[in-house]
Amino acid sequence: MPSAVLTQPGSLARHHPLGTSTGALVEQRGDWEALVCEAQRTSTFAVELAALSAGELPELLHFLSAAPALPFHFISLHAPSKGRRLREKQLVAMLLEVVRCVDAVVVHPDTIDDAARYAALGSALVLENMDSRKHGGRTAAELAAYFAALPQAGFCFDVAHAASVDETLAEGERLLDSFGARLRHVHVSSLDEDCHHVPLTAADEERFAPLLRRCRDVPWILEAPLREI
Amino acid sequence: MQSPAGALERLAAHSAEGFPNLLAARERTAARLAEMRLRVAPVVLPADSSIVLFGSWGRGELTAHSDDDWLLLVDGPLRPQHEPVVATLRELLGAEDRKPGTQEIFGAAASAHVLASRIGLDEDTNRSLTRRMLLLLESVPVAGDDAYERCWVHVLNSYLEDATKDFRPPRFLLNDLVRYWRTICVDFVGKQREDEEKWGLRNAKLRTGRKVLFAAGLLPILLCERHLQAAMRDFLVEQLRAPATDRLAAAFAAYDLMDSGGRALDAYDRWIGMLGDDATRAELAAVRRETADASDAYARVRRSGRELETGLLALLFETPLVVLVREYGVF
Repeated sequence: MPSAVLTQPGSLARHHPLGTSTGALVEQRGDWEALVCEAQRTSTFAVELAALSAGELPELLHFLSAAPALPFHFISLHAPSKGRRLREKQLVAMLLEVVRCVDAVVVHPDTIDDAARYAALGSALVLENMDSRKHGGRTAAELAAYFAALPQAGFCFDVAHAASVDETLAEGERLLDSFGARLRHVHVSSLDEDCHHVPLTAADEERFAPLLRRCRDVPWILEAPLREI
Repeated sequence: MQSPAGALERLAAHSAEGFPNLLAARERTAARLAEMRLRVAPVVLPADSSIVLFGSWGRGELTAHSDDDWLLLVDGPLRPQHEPVVATLRELLGAEDRKPGTQEIFGAAASAHVLASRIGLDEDTNRSLTRRMLLLLESVPVAGDDAYERCWVHVLNSYLEDATKDFRPPRFLLNDLVRYWRTICVDFVGKQREDEEKWGLRNAKLRTGRKVLFAAGLLPILLCERHLQAAMRDFLVEQLRAPATDRLAAAFAAYDLMDSGGRALDAYDRWIGMLGDDATRAELAAVRRETADASDAYARVRRSGRELETGLLALLFETPLVVLVREYGVF
């Protein structure tokens, strides 16, 4: 049965497959069983298991290593993007332990020191475009070097990040022109003034529509809960 | 929708690599078809017969490992004079590891009139259904082109004689196509219960080539909804005579879904590349259900199959086609 959210009005909620990022589920943080349960309320088709801070990764890997019965058809794992305490070699080794359990491993390019180390993740590796606060990986031109070094890597298009870099959305179009053939999934939300993910506003939903129309075949992951309709 | 001819090449600009494996397979198929025509040229064919190749030959996706799935297709009843021709063809085609499969669907003579007159009910066997559908969806003659043309049109006409109305998809054909696709899926499990030997390759083909076959057949049938009954035959002839990947590429273009189409056919292109790679093919041939999760090749097939499927589903459900799928795709 489709989850209730899929029957709500609004084009975003009607997209399939739609899933949520556990990074948006603050109340359940740290309890992976509860996070998965909550994520299923959005959809049983797609999910992003987010270990956004380095401390969350060992627990997530422990959870996945027990081979839990998960309903999702598409599972991405978001690698740590802040508070990294692990050496890069160690981090990649940990990600390799679960690469067979997931469809994608999302990595922020600005956290990469040595791209060659990530090549072992093969086509499961997915690079995300960064927001305007970051110092690299924000634009098609900045991402090109990463994809040149990691030719098997896929692309995760964060539409709000692209809008933060260029509010005309021309850069978003350039990102899809350049890396759309590698597109594996999309992050959907709006951003607040500090570039934190917040529920997609009606204005942004309309503004982002031309970009999202180019991504109709891939899972859309909600980086923040849907707004109340 | 425009003619599908050349649509794959046009979509290539929206793909990661320009579909190198698919386009190379087309060139290879054209060259091998020319060789095949020369090879069978000395065979004395009765005027009512044609030599027809199926599967990757018809799709234009030949790899080094493709079988020679052939039929002596007869425009009329089978007669004793066809038997020596079949015997000659068995000597001539399917050398080494390219013999037709073991289910006796190919490598024999078949009457197009029987295929056309026994649609449904007990006498319409699995073999008959397969031959008829593959004739319409992925076949190519290498001798007796006139007889092939008559047979092909005869089978199509047999579907259009019943349950066809202006501005409605031809239900008889639609239902038989859906039946064929579901039969393939059900038979996959049936074969798995009998013999797991080819599980990996069968599973991989179900995730990829079989979906392309079904979707590329479904689209033109649904799009008959735009036509008067009298125009449907010509529309279907134009569509179904084009390779399946051209039909899909044309549909992605017609519905302004070039990015999704590029990704979907790029995934399929990777699969064609895997099929032609000896090591990958050997690994897939060795995969069993219980070892599938440990196979890199199987993981790549699963990913390509999923990306192909999501692209096809976007085409069917996130474009105006959704109303046709809703109206005709379930009941």
